[in-house]
Amino acid sequence: MENFLYGVATNTGKGFFTAEDRRNFFLRGYPANVWVVGNNPKGALWVADRGVFKTKSEAQALVDAEVQAAQAAWDAQTDEEKADLLNIRPSDVTLP
Amino acid sequence: MSTYKNLIGKDVNFLTTDPDNDAAEGQIWYNSTSNVYKNVIVNKAWSSSGSLITAIPGGGQAGAGTQTAGLAFGGNNGPILAVTQEYNGTGFTLGGNLNTARYQLAGAGTQTAALAFGGEPPPSGVDLSESYNGTSWTEGNNLNTARRTLGGSGTQTAAMAVGGTTGTVSTASEKYDGTSWTSTPSLNQAKRNTQNVGPSAAALNFGGYTTPPQVVRTETESWDGSSWTAVNAMNVGRYGAGATGTQTSAIAFGGFNPGNPTNPVAVNESWDGTSWTNTSISLAQARGYGAGFGTNTAAVLAGGGPTPANKPSATEEYSETANVITGAAWASGGNIGTARRALWGAGTQTAGLIFGGYIGAPVSADTEEYNGTSWSEQNNLNTAGYHLAGTGTQTAGIAFARGTPTPNNGPLTEEYDGTSWSEQNDMGTARYATAGFGIQTAAACVGGSPVSIGTPNMQRTEEYDGSSWSDGGTYPTPIYSLGGCGTQSAGLGCGGFSPPAGLGGRVTLTGEYDGSSWTTGGSLVQGVDGGFASGSQTDAIFFCGYASGPLNQSQKYDGTSWVSSASLANARNSLGGSSTTGALALAAGGGTPNTNSTEEFTGETSSLNVKTLTQS
Repeated sequence: MENFLYGVATNTGKGFFTAEDRRNFFLRGYPANVWVVGNNPKGALWVADRGVFKTKSEAQALVDAEVQAAQAAWDAQTDEEKADLLNIRPSDVTLP
Repeated sequence: MSTYKNLIGKDVNFLTTDPDNDAAEGQIWYNSTSNVYKNVIVNKAWSSSGSLITAIPGGGQAGAGTQTAGLAFGGNNGPILAVTQEYNGTGFTLGGNLNTARYQLAGAGTQTAALAFGGEPPPSGVDLSESYNGTSWTEGNNLNTARRTLGGSGTQTAAMAVGGTTGTVSTASEKYDGTSWTSTPSLNQAKRNTQNVGPSAAALNFGGYTTPPQVVRTETESWDGSSWTAVNAMNVGRYGAGATGTQTSAIAFGGFNPGNPTNPVAVNESWDGTSWTNTSISLAQARGYGAGFGTNTAAVLAGGGPTPANKPSATEEYSETANVITGAAWASGGNIGTARRALWGAGTQTAGLIFGGYIGAPVSADTEEYNGTSWSEQNNLNTAGYHLAGTGTQTAGIAFARGTPTPNNGPLTEEYDGTSWSEQNDMGTARYATAGFGIQTAAACVGGSPVSIGTPNMQRTEEYDGSSWSDGGTYPTPIYSLGGCGTQSAGLGCGGFSPPAGLGGRVTLTGEYDGSSWTTGGSLVQGVDGGFASGSQTDAIFFCGYASGPLNQSQKYDGTSWVSSASLANARNSLGGSSTTGALALAAGGGTPNTNSTEEFTGETSSLNVKTLTQS
C-alpha cells in the first residue's frame, strides 16, 4: 500500500480544504493543481470528490511542465532582472 | 433518601451562564437561561499539534518526556538520523544531536534527563547508550546485549531495555541504574518492536512480533523488579506502537498489525493493572514507528511511518481532560483575484488587505480586500511596487518601501482609507524587501534592499507618525526580506537574509523592538527569508518563506521561543497576509510559480466540554 495518493483538482477557494481535512490526512498542493494526499479513507474521498486521481508519474509530469514553463519565463528575463537577489529561479519540485 | 450533595459533596448550582474552567468538572448545575441541567464530561481524545521539524518517513525514532516537555530522537529518513527534536506542548525545536545516528532505538526519561539506547544500523543492532541533559548527548556505558527494535521505558536512572532483535528475536532484559546496564531475568516471550512502560522497579511489557514467520504478539508481562510474569494479554496485538503510563495504568496507541481489519491500528487500548480494554478513541492518522511519550492521560505520538503512514511529520496529543482541544490548522480561503508574489498584506483574517506584487511583468499596483470568504478588487496603488511593505487595517492601511523598475520609487509612502490610496511624505531611505509593522499612524519599517543602500541602512529602522518618517533603532544585523509584526513600541522582526557583511545567509535571528532599540529574542526553528509574520511580540506566527525552496512551514512565538506549528497546504515565499493576530492569520499569494491560493490559520483552541443532561 502506497503512502500517498495523487490527484489534480482546481482550488475553488474557501472550503476547498478545511481545518478538519488538515487534521484528518496529509495534504500538500503543488504547481499545476496537483495535490498529494495521505492514503487513508478520508484522504481518498477528498480527492474523489474534488478532482481526478493520477499516478505519481502522471502527477510529476504535470508539475514538471508547469515548473519548466516558469523556469523558461525566468530565463527569458534580462540580466539585470536576473541579478536581483530576490528574484529566485523557480526550483524543481519532486513529489513525495 | 440521599441527596445529590450527600452523594457528591456538592450542591446543584443555579447559574445564569455555564462555568468556563476546569473547576466545573464533576459538577451538575441548572442553567436558568436555557432552563436545562448541565454537567462537564471528561473528554478522551486525540488532537493534532505542531509537526516535527524534520519529517521522518521511515519512522523508528524514540521518545521520552511529557506532553509539555517531550523529546523525539533518531529515526530513518533515508539517511539514518541523529536529530533530536524537543516538544513544548505546542511544537518542536531542535535539540542536540545524538552522538551516533540510529533508528529502531529505545528511549526513557525526561526532556532534560533522557536516555537513548540500542537501535540500528543493521544487521544486529548497536549496544550504545547515551544520556541527554536538555542540551547535549553524552556516551555512557553500553548495553550488555547489542540489539535493535527493542522496547524501553523508565527514567534516566532507572530504565528498562527489553526484547528486540540481535538477528534473532530476543528475550533479553536489562535495567539501568544511571551508570551501567545489568542483565536481568529474561522475558518469557521473545519479542521485537515491543512496547514497554514503567521504571526498573515496576514495568509492563506488551505487544511486538516474532519472526519468521511474522506473528504479532498480544502477550503482556509484568516486571516486579526481579522477574517477568505473564499477565492478561492485549485484545489486539500490535508492534511499533506508542505506549505510555505505568505498570498499573497504561495505554497503547498506533502500531502495526497486518491481520487486523485496520492496519496500522488506530484505536487506543488501555490497561488498568489487570486487563486490557479496547477503546473507541482513535488517532486521526493511524500509524506506527512514531515517537510516543507522556503519560496514560496526556500522551503524544510524533511522526510515524512508513506503511501505510500518511503523514510522516504529524503530531497528535492524547488528553483526558474536561476540555475539548482542537488542534491548530490551515484551511483554504478564497482565492486572490490576481496570482502574484512579492506583495504585502495588512488587516485581519476577516478584513484583510493585500497590495502590490510581481505578476511576472509588469509590477503590480493591484489592491484587494478580503471579507473572510472572498477577495474583491479595489482601487490600485498610485505607484506599482513589489517586495514592498506596509501595515495597518483594511480601512486605514499604509504601503511603503517598494521595489520597482525605477529605484527612485523606493521611498514612496501611500495611505489607504478603505477606498483609495493617497501619496504621503517619503521615507528617509529608498529601499525594498523590508518589514513593516504597527498601524497607519504609528508604523515602523526595518531592514531593506540588498543592492542599493549599503549595509548600514539595512539595519535602519524608520518610524511613521501618520505624517512623516523619523529614525528609530538599529537592527542587530544587516537584513532584508524579513518578517515583521506587532506595534511600533512592541515590534518583532524575524528571519530574513543577511549579507556577508552581517551574519551571512538566511538567519534564525529574532529582533524585539521597544520603540527605540532592538534586542535579540529567541531563535527561529529554521532560518527563512521571504516569510510573513502576523501577531504581536508575545504571540506571533511566522509562516512560509524560502530556504532551499519555497516552504509550507509555520512557526509560533510566545515572546521567548519559537516552535513548529501546523503546516500550510501550499508552499510559497514572498507572500502577503494579515498582520494583527497570531491565532487567526491569513496567507495570500506568493511564489514561485505565482499562486492565487489563500490559507487561513486557526490556532489551537480549548473549551470546557459542557453537556446538557437529558432523561433518555
